[in-house]
Amino acid sequence: MLELTLQALFSGLLAGGYYATVAVGLALVFGTMRVINLAHGELVLLAAYVAYAAETNYGVNPVMAIPVALVIVGTASAIVYALLSRIHQDREINSLILTFGLGIILTNAILSIWAADIHSTSDPWFQDSMVIADTLFAMNAEVAAFVGGLVLMAGVWWWLNHSWQGRAVRALSSNRAAATLMGVNPRKIEILSFLIAALLATFAGFAIYTGKTVFPALGHVLTVKAFIITVLAGMGSIPGVLIGAIMIGVIESLTVTYLSASLQELAGMILFLVVLFVSPSGLFGGGRALAR
Amino acid sequence: MLTLEGVQVNFGGVQALKSASFSVAEGESIGLVGPNGAGKTTLFNVISGVVRPTAGRLDFRGTSLLKLPEWKRARLGIGRSFQIPRPFGHCTVRENLLVAQRFGAGKKDPKRIDEILDILNLRDKADRDATTELALTEHKALEVGKALATEPSLLLLDEVLAGLETSSKRAFMERLAAVRDRYRLAMVIIEHDIATIAALCPRVLVLNFGQIIADGSPDAVFRDPEVIRSYTGETTLAEAS
Repeated sequence: MLELTLQALFSGLLAGGYYATVAVGLALVFGTMRVINLAHGELVLLAAYVAYAAETNYGVNPVMAIPVALVIVGTASAIVYALLSRIHQDREINSLILTFGLGIILTNAILSIWAADIHSTSDPWFQDSMVIADTLFAMNAEVAAFVGGLVLMAGVWWWLNHSWQGRAVRALSSNRAAATLMGVNPRKIEILSFLIAALLATFAGFAIYTGKTVFPALGHVLTVKAFIITVLAGMGSIPGVLIGAIMIGVIESLTVTYLSASLQELAGMILFLVVLFVSPSGLFGGGRALAR
Repeated sequence: MLTLEGVQVNFGGVQALKSASFSVAEGESIGLVGPNGAGKTTLFNVISGVVRPTAGRLDFRGTSLLKLPEWKRARLGIGRSFQIPRPFGHCTVRENLLVAQRFGAGKKDPKRIDEILDILNLRDKADRDATTELALTEHKALEVGKALATEPSLLLLDEVLAGLETSSKRAFMERLAAVRDRYRLAMVIIEHDIATIAALCPRVLVLNFGQIIADGSPDAVFRDPEVIRSYTGETTLAEAS
């Protein structure tokens, strides 16, 4: 029983790492632009399918395709940004409609190119298991994704707290009018945020392809999950996003272990609603603060 | 330094500014007064780039501001504070100033930041969280400090003394005078307290219904019957009382 619980907690922790890598990109763009990019999950999915195409069509290790995926996802993100920046009225609402539509277009493009089948990596290294502390099992891919995700998120956290562009992101996030009147060029900072979100989406896409399974409808699922985690954390706190993602991962894992896999999503939703009921601004929200 | 000619701003059917024309010379201090809704903040918004004028000309040191975004105007030397202080989230007081200096003035000069902290009496709060650990006077001082850190030559101060007690207001006024003299700035100050304006500014502009109705020394302006009418609805102070 104890071993089973520990394994469930460990699996939940690893799943939280995936979720957090997806959610941080969404939170970063929201913090900078006050826009919820509902196509973010589809950008993650695009990266996953680039990995799939590299492996099946060209027979290369998916990791070798990361630079190509970065260019493709970065370009797709730049297009999303270019369209978003043309919205001058009621941006918060209109951007939801625009990015939702772009997400549908991306999903259908993926569907028409790669069909609706479920795919995962065939590279045995990713699927091999490792044993940690004699009792905890995990796939190599899961551990690599968790560690890589943590390193990337730590990098984004450092960037936000210690670089000038990061400080400009926080300034824009907390007081856009004052920041621009202090000389911050909002366009430049927004583009930078989108590109960093694209980097995170690319990594998350590769992590999901190598450690889980991918299918065209997954993008929407990822966006919803990332949105829930971002709101749960309190719109914009990166350590909060990580903790929120791990909470969701753990509760889902415990539900699968002790109740039923069919209740997994419901358990995450209940946690989300309970947190919002107790603390409407989320676990770490209230200050519209990125990074801290 | 700054010239406005025939500047108009329409919000739908409402004319917020009607053909405003005036200029500000280098190092000049001007008080901008008028009843609520007269168009004072709109005028600041036009100069700083938050609002685009419907018509008119707007030049700063020979450069037309009309097509420049806010951040370029800041880099040209137009600094601005806001009526309601809102520091950058979860940054220290020093970080707020450093961000303003880095992006507004395009450099990192810790000595100047220390000088600003000293002149605004914020040195002992420099490493405090600006969002949660400052009193109102300190928030107001930080607003001025952020604008100063961009190294402006023209400073627009929007009701920076509002909400302060009389004693704090006096001390704050002295700091503003010290700032102006130290950095040889031109200043335009929106303020409702006439005594404060008279003490700080040798020239006063009065706005009413989006129009400049008086421009001159505080003595002359506050005796002007049209100015008195704009505040009281009556022609003279005697009638008003």
